[in-house]
Amino acid sequence: MNALEFDILLPAFFAGLLVLATHIPFGMRVLQRGVIFADLAVAQIAGLGVVIAGLLDLTDQPLLVQLIAGSSALCGAVLLAWIERNASEVKEAYIGLTFVLAASLGILLMSRDVHAGEHLQDLLVGQILWVNNTQLISTAVLSAALLIVWHRLHNSQNHFVFYALFALAITASVQLVGIYLVFASLIVPALATYQLQRRMTFAFGIGIAGYVLGLLLSIWLDLPAGVAIVWAMALIGLLSALLKRTG
Amino acid sequence: MKKILFALSMLVLSSQAHAALNVFVCEPEWAALTQELAGDKATLYTATGALQDPHRIEARPSLIAQARRANLVVCTGAELEVAWLPVVLRESGNNTVLPGSDGYFETAQFVTMLEVPTRLDRGEGDVHALGNPHIQTDPRNFLPVAEALGKRLAQLDPGNAAHYRQRLTAFNQQWRAAIAKWEAQAATLKGVAVVVQHKGFPYLSHWLGLNEVEALEPKPGMEPSAAHLAQVLATLQKQPARMVLRAAYQNERPSEWIAQRAHIAAVVLPYTVGGSDKVKDLYGLFDDTIARLLAGLQ
Repeated sequence: MNALEFDILLPAFFAGLLVLATHIPFGMRVLQRGVIFADLAVAQIAGLGVVIAGLLDLTDQPLLVQLIAGSSALCGAVLLAWIERNASEVKEAYIGLTFVLAASLGILLMSRDVHAGEHLQDLLVGQILWVNNTQLISTAVLSAALLIVWHRLHNSQNHFVFYALFALAITASVQLVGIYLVFASLIVPALATYQLQRRMTFAFGIGIAGYVLGLLLSIWLDLPAGVAIVWAMALIGLLSALLKRTG
Repeated sequence: MKKILFALSMLVLSSQAHAALNVFVCEPEWAALTQELAGDKATLYTATGALQDPHRIEARPSLIAQARRANLVVCTGAELEVAWLPVVLRESGNNTVLPGSDGYFETAQFVTMLEVPTRLDRGEGDVHALGNPHIQTDPRNFLPVAEALGKRLAQLDPGNAAHYRQRLTAFNQQWRAAIAKWEAQAATLKGVAVVVQHKGFPYLSHWLGLNEVEALEPKPGMEPSAAHLAQVLATLQKQPARMVLRAAYQNERPSEWIAQRAHIAAVVLPYTVGGSDKVKDLYGLFDDTIARLLAGLQ
């Protein structure tokens, strides 16, 4: 690998580390609660907020757009916490329905304002190779804050605290690396290390190895980076789950 | 009574003569051209906005309804609208605007196409077999299109033929003068090295003599590989570019990424009428395009 290639991969790798830092602990909790698709629902609701910001002609103020996306995600968190408390047995159905309704409402609103649609697209299909330092620093600050709160309130049984932290983390990470990588980072390490000793260490190992291998494959085999990482992480996860069984 | 009926029928006829043609236009630049050539004799409906990617739009009932009442469909062709226009025309049930009929007009047929592949390979992404369809970035392409479109309008609405002929002559004259003015303004852009975000500017580069050294997203709509970006940066080290170009409807992240790394200007071009606040008509489109390119040089 030459210096140029290293220079391209390094920010993308940092973005991956930031996403993993919050998504691995959250992913384990998501798996335990059985709310796998909550991330998709939250991302769509955040995207919906951005569409509305577009309709109100606010898109030229990036900070305001982020605030709107974050507040929409928090509204989503309230909804998810309510579902968890009141409809625990059928919560997957409610979460799926929330996802479809938010996505459809986005398209309905966009049919009036096409420009907003482009922003929704940007929000959902963040591309990991384009990350810049501003994004990395702001996501790092946000992730650190979320993790501190998470550790303080780790054992709190309050559904809203979990969903609120989760919603803010997802809103930031989706814009950084896109929805496919968010989903993979959340689920693959947690799933591959299910019922394992020293779970956190192995989960981070799998996540980091996935990002490294995927980025290298993108250089070596000339592949789109985001999707290459998704597959690399899944294969590494599968391999370690098989090793665990035989070992 | 007869007099009243006669007066009413005259009223109906005259209002029809006022806007004789319903024209369904695919892209804003052709709507602007049709407007120049038809004036108040045509009612226009434009299917895509300046901030939309004309490759993919959502089919809506309103599109089909508009195609149903159209006397003339004006689109780029060359497979630009292949994802949605055939469906809209078929669903409209309007036989007078189907491809091959007089009511169907493809602008790309009247210009010399660039980037026509010698070998067809869909693996290269959104490749167009008939060449690159983004012909509206070279103002010279509007001359043969205007000529043919003016004739078509006169053919479909013979009652106003003189009107169309007169407007065509006026447009030709003004447009040629404007091209001369733009070429003089843009003389310093000749040979300037640029990076393009996608391969959407071959006609602009060909016209102004811009030197496109690399494309960030060689396969439109697909995330590039890290290997490709490394190659782009390597090329730029050997052959520094002055700016990176993107169309107004595109995501700004790729342009900003290369602008920061290679320390070059990121230039957003309106790409079509309505693509920026200043671009209200075809003249404004090129006034603004040249102004933004010149600003990028500084």
